[in-house]
Amino acid sequence: MITLTINEKEVTLDKPVSILEAARQAGIKIPTLCYHEALKPYGGCRLCVVEVERMPRLQSACTLMAADGMVVTTESEVISKVRRGILEFLLINHPLDCPYCDKAGECELQDLVNKYGPTVGRYKEEKRKVPESHKDQILARNMERCVVCTRCVRMCNDVQGASAITIIGRGDRSRMEPFSSASFNCEYCGNCLTVCPVGAILSRLYIHSFRPWQVDKEVETICSYCGVGCSLVVQVRDDSIKRVIPEMGLGVNKGLLCSRGRFGYEYINSRERLKTPLVKKNGRLEESTWSEALNLVAEKLSEIKKGEGGSAIAGIASPRCSNEDNYAFQKFMRMVCGSNNIDSVSRTGFAAAQKFFEALLGQGITANIIEGLKNSEVIFVVGGDPTSVNPILGLSIREASRRGAKIIVLGNAKGLDRFKNVQVIPPVFKDVDALEELLAGVSRVKGVRGEKLDIDQGIRALSEKYSEKMSLDGLEELKYALLDSPSTSIVFGMDLVQRANGHRAIFAVAGLTYLLEARLYLLSDRPNEQGLIDVGCVPDMLPGGRPLNIHDFKTKFETAWGGSIPDKDGVTLLEIIEGARNNDIKALYIMGENPVFNLPDGPFIKDALGSLDFLVVQDIFLTETAEIADVVLPALGWSEKSGTYTNLERRIQLQKKAVNASSGMEDWKIISEVSGKMGYKMAYSEVEDIMDEIAEVSPLYRDLSYREIAKGNCLWPYHGEPLRGEIHELPAMAESAGNYGSDFYLALEKPLFHSGTLSRRSQALMKICPEPTLKISGAAAEKLGMQDGDRVKVSTSTGSSEVSVSIDESIKDNRVLLSNNFEGRGVFSLLTYKLDPVTKAPGIEGCEVEIQKG
Amino acid sequence: MEKFLLKNIENPDSADINEYLKAGGYKSLSKALGIEPKDVVEEVKNSGLRGRGGAGFPTAMKWKFAMADPKFPKYLICNADEGEPGTFKDRPILEKNPHLLIEGMLISGYALGSEFGYIYLRGEYPDANDILNGAIKQAYEKNYLGDNILGKGVKFHLSVHQGAGAYICGEETALIESIEGKKGQPRNKPPFPVNVGAWSMPTIVNNVETLSNLPYIIEIGGEAYSKIGSNECPGPKLFSISGHVERPGVYELPMGISLKDIIYNHAGGIKNNAKLKAVIPGGISTPVLPPDSIDCAMDFVSMPKAGSMLGSGAVIVMDDSVCMVKVTHRALKFFEHESCGKCVPCREGTDWLRKILERMESGKGTEGDIELLLDIAGNMSGKTFCPLGDGAAGVVTAMIKHFRDEFEEHIKNKKCSLADSY
Ligand SMILES: Cc1cc2nc3c(=O)[nH]c(=O)nc-3n(C[C@H](O)[C@H](O)[C@H](O)COP(=O)(O)O)c2cc1C
Ligand code: SF4
Ligand code: SF4
Ligand code: SF4
Ligand code: SF4
Ligand code: FES
Repeated sequence: MITLTINEKEVTLDKPVSILEAARQAGIKIPTLCYHEALKPYGGCRLCVVEVERMPRLQSACTLMAADGMVVTTESEVISKVRRGILEFLLINHPLDCPYCDKAGECELQDLVNKYGPTVGRYKEEKRKVPESHKDQILARNMERCVVCTRCVRMCNDVQGASAITIIGRGDRSRMEPFSSASFNCEYCGNCLTVCPVGAILSRLYIHSFRPWQVDKEVETICSYCGVGCSLVVQVRDDSIKRVIPEMGLGVNKGLLCSRGRFGYEYINSRERLKTPLVKKNGRLEESTWSEALNLVAEKLSEIKKGEGGSAIAGIASPRCSNEDNYAFQKFMRMVCGSNNIDSVSRTGFAAAQKFFEALLGQGITANIIEGLKNSEVIFVVGGDPTSVNPILGLSIREASRRGAKIIVLGNAKGLDRFKNVQVIPPVFKDVDALEELLAGVSRVKGVRGEKLDIDQGIRALSEKYSEKMSLDGLEELKYALLDSPSTSIVFGMDLVQRANGHRAIFAVAGLTYLLEARLYLLSDRPNEQGLIDVGCVPDMLPGGRPLNIHDFKTKFETAWGGSIPDKDGVTLLEIIEGARNNDIKALYIMGENPVFNLPDGPFIKDALGSLDFLVVQDIFLTETAEIADVVLPALGWSEKSGTYTNLERRIQLQKKAVNASSGMEDWKIISEVSGKMGYKMAYSEVEDIMDEIAEVSPLYRDLSYREIAKGNCLWPYHGEPLRGEIHELPAMAESAGNYGSDFYLALEKPLFHSGTLSRRSQALMKICPEPTLKISGAAAEKLGMQDGDRVKVSTSTGSSEVSVSIDESIKDNRVLLSNNFEGRGVFSLLTYKLDPVTKAPGIEGCEVEIQKG
Repeated sequence: MEKFLLKNIENPDSADINEYLKAGGYKSLSKALGIEPKDVVEEVKNSGLRGRGGAGFPTAMKWKFAMADPKFPKYLICNADEGEPGTFKDRPILEKNPHLLIEGMLISGYALGSEFGYIYLRGEYPDANDILNGAIKQAYEKNYLGDNILGKGVKFHLSVHQGAGAYICGEETALIESIEGKKGQPRNKPPFPVNVGAWSMPTIVNNVETLSNLPYIIEIGGEAYSKIGSNECPGPKLFSISGHVERPGVYELPMGISLKDIIYNHAGGIKNNAKLKAVIPGGISTPVLPPDSIDCAMDFVSMPKAGSMLGSGAVIVMDDSVCMVKVTHRALKFFEHESCGKCVPCREGTDWLRKILERMESGKGTEGDIELLLDIAGNMSGKTFCPLGDGAAGVVTAMIKHFRDEFEEHIKNKKCSLADSY
């Protein structure tokens, strides 16, 4: 316990903090400029000086730790003069262009001068001139306004971990600059922008477009991009979004954001937004009215249900839609269309993995909070780069590394290159084996736990399968890192689920989780992959994770919903598509998804959907899939409607409406309209009514209400008891396949700056990353005789695409990577797939590719 | 007085290890290795040795702080950055007597339990770099450096790190940042380098001259050493004398010698018998003294009483042809250029002061400029992050205090009445 006196007030502290924080705890405000709560103290501005008895000089409160018995004075004539002097120093070379500066009104310098500064200037000399930098498309840098507080640099280095900027020059020539002339290392998180106290770093997204005091509405909501679910504040003026900013300390992200969350929202105002329903007439989509379109949907679906039975109808739900939308959707499919054929694109990764993990280790096994990563001693990253899939989660890994945790990586994870301790990159076709080998190695030292006999047995089988000597360099080191760790987290990306034998990778990860008693995190690249499963948008489970094949659950829901649910489990996503191709499925209702683009073997998918009798697509854009639909229904997007989302930790959060959309309807509302027309009334007048119903029927969301959610910290299972999963029998493990004939193999890149097809309608993200590039290793470039920027033709058995190459030193093998975000040039149109027999996820590894100079 | 630090430097091969050995070199090391490390520290404590880098901190006390810290490895850094204008006292040791420094570092390393040493060398001393590296190579060959020094199982490795020309890198924490490969800017203290220094490990930074005194202390014993020079700051001291004297150069003299004695006896008096106008006694950041104040004892305790500081012991002598406004301007140009930019008062204050002085020098001074200069200096002094900014402010305050009339004249006459000379 530390007791000190500040301004004659006795302050008691239970843990050591700086004088500044001690004063704040006591309600005493000390002015600061270089200090920022999210950053390490710096001591540069000297505004926070205080007098401390028995210390000869004035002391900076932000850097001096409080000690027992200190007597501190924070206000005196001497101190006031110092502060006035400091502010005068800051102003002498400042351009004082407040009338023109976007920061005016929320500028810390302006506020400080107002309160503590001199009233007249005594400076008669010439001011330093530094031209404004227009080099960057997103961030404007005005170094005349810079007060060299280094908050941006500390943010970029110590928190973001990008180390993209620094203060160059010395003394009065100091200014912040990117390390390289291009924005080479910048991750465009914009977190430097958040902490800059003045108008030295500004966002070009809204430069000169409004004044902070003109904001007439602020809405606290969450990001629409990934499974982290970051909190952000949308600032609105005249019913249009002016800016999206984070708030320090708020939400999972605690004031940090990534490029997508901060700059990616512009798609909402894209001119390409769907405005009216479209109906296909004479082979062409034509503008229509809501009543015509909705009637047509209801008629067609009723007709097919009647003629072919409910199982001829299928639905694809959306991990971008809210819990309420998805709940209404599955209820509609089950109760109205009479079909359990409900799935989502999540089946290609998250939903597939989740299901198998829960079967092995029990429901809720992946429900771990992101914050917990920071306290792990070892973090094992496998199957993808967390810093690009779930950037804010990625930051926790970097933070853990700074705190001394060991970061060990199997496979590629570029964003952790400067943070990892050990990395092993297995060759193509060998990554699942490597993972199994690791598990075998660990179990050889540690034995099995004897708690889950099936898993124990599976692990034993692996120990027999692999010899003691590990086949890859570094695996031994990985093994010991895991064995020596007192607290382990495993971060599992979906790359290894997208294998024809992905279930083996999942088993191996589950085995490691079990043996090491590790915390398991699944990366999730859409905002509501977890919620989607929770509310029943899977073919075999009702809301709350209740298996459909358990009679009691089914009847319970039938009673609640007033009708009957078909008995048989439905089919999964790619089985739906294949069903469409075989004419087993006649009608497909797609809500907020673009399978033609977002699933591998695009040409096949398109062909399959083209052979349906009836295709309905509900979306905010005329996507590749909507283009071939019979009816297209315009929906509302992020910020235009409210709803809840469940993030990868299973935190249930509210995404709120901030502006009124000029057209479109909430997804749940469209569904309930169609439902009504088909004779089943969904009595929801507000979105909240749906949550009330979910809270009643789902044990996981029991007692949940918008009021409760708004308070924050609603973590799954909310008052409910999760079902313990049980595995009865391990499925047979498929053999690894593949021959190694090809020079290069094509694989999916998950970029930091894009997500699905939304981000390509965001101007800012398109400026940061305007076109797809084929990422190749340095060795590959040499072999092909290519340089950065060369145009190439990439061909596979499915098709070809023209892109430019970019050399990526983090690639160490013969894989070449292409993203799936750009119209007409997505990697999925070039890849074929092979279904994993257990998880039903499409395996896409080892696609041979030919690269020719274009 | 018998010379110790500059012993043998007339010998053109003094930097060669064989010459050094011939003159009795590395004997103190053998002696030190024969006693317990803590007894070596005790000798140093008894000697009363104070750091020669400028602040005069008791060397043994600094060592004890580092030794009390349980973390290992501990690093020993020799501060050879010597960037203070007027200071060139370490240079003869570095260039002529490198083995004395190496021997001093070895004794220090042994006492402290440090096995890794660095010499942070001023970037503008390329010859010293070659000489030091040559000497280190020789020392390795003769087993004075390495894993089993003199077969005694003692380990010490030493290397030279060249600075890149920033004065602030002489400040110990900025120096450590620079050694770590970062931009040279001072760190917050506490924690002090003795606890959290290079790569977060306990680190001792000592000046070249400080370390070079160690062989002597071991040779004659702390007790005997403490009898040299002044009571509170004993030992021999190197003074670098520049400016308008007959014989500028580096002199090894007992600590506490009078400034007047240095100028008039050792350096041969004012050049061409001109009139003395001002003396900066300890390097550019120490306050200037007028002629009537130079009868003072040159040591860390007495100089503050005389209105200045011993600093690095760099005496800059100016005769009456020198314009004090110009000197002040030149000094501020240095500080503005060398300010690291971390803290506001120094970064902006040095710029502002320099600009005003420049204006005065060019005859554009106005009424009130002197008060403004004093006020700006006042707003800097005691508020900066490190002593560099204080030094800059102190130069201005002292110059105006002693030579105010010259500043006033510049404003009144709109020009300098003196010839264009420094
Ligand atoms: C701006 C500044 C420059 C300094 N430059 C030097 C230098 O060039 N050489 C030096 O030995 N000490 C220099 N010092 C002092 C060091 O910080 C440190 O006190 C010294 O190296 C300690 O060694 P000592 O205890 O042997 O004196 C400087 C200090 C400041 C504030
Ligand atoms: S946007 Fe992010 S990565 Fe880029 S400079 Fe700013 S803090 Fe660093
Ligand atoms: S750009 Fe902003 S945050 Fe960065 S140093 Fe300058 S004022 Fe501080
Ligand atoms: S990490 Fe995910 S949720 Fe957070 S801002 Fe980025 S995309 Fe949005
Ligand atoms: S006083 Fe401040 S700006 Fe000047 S050198 Fe020291 S830390 Fe840097
Ligand atoms: S806030 Fe303490 S020095 Fe800047």
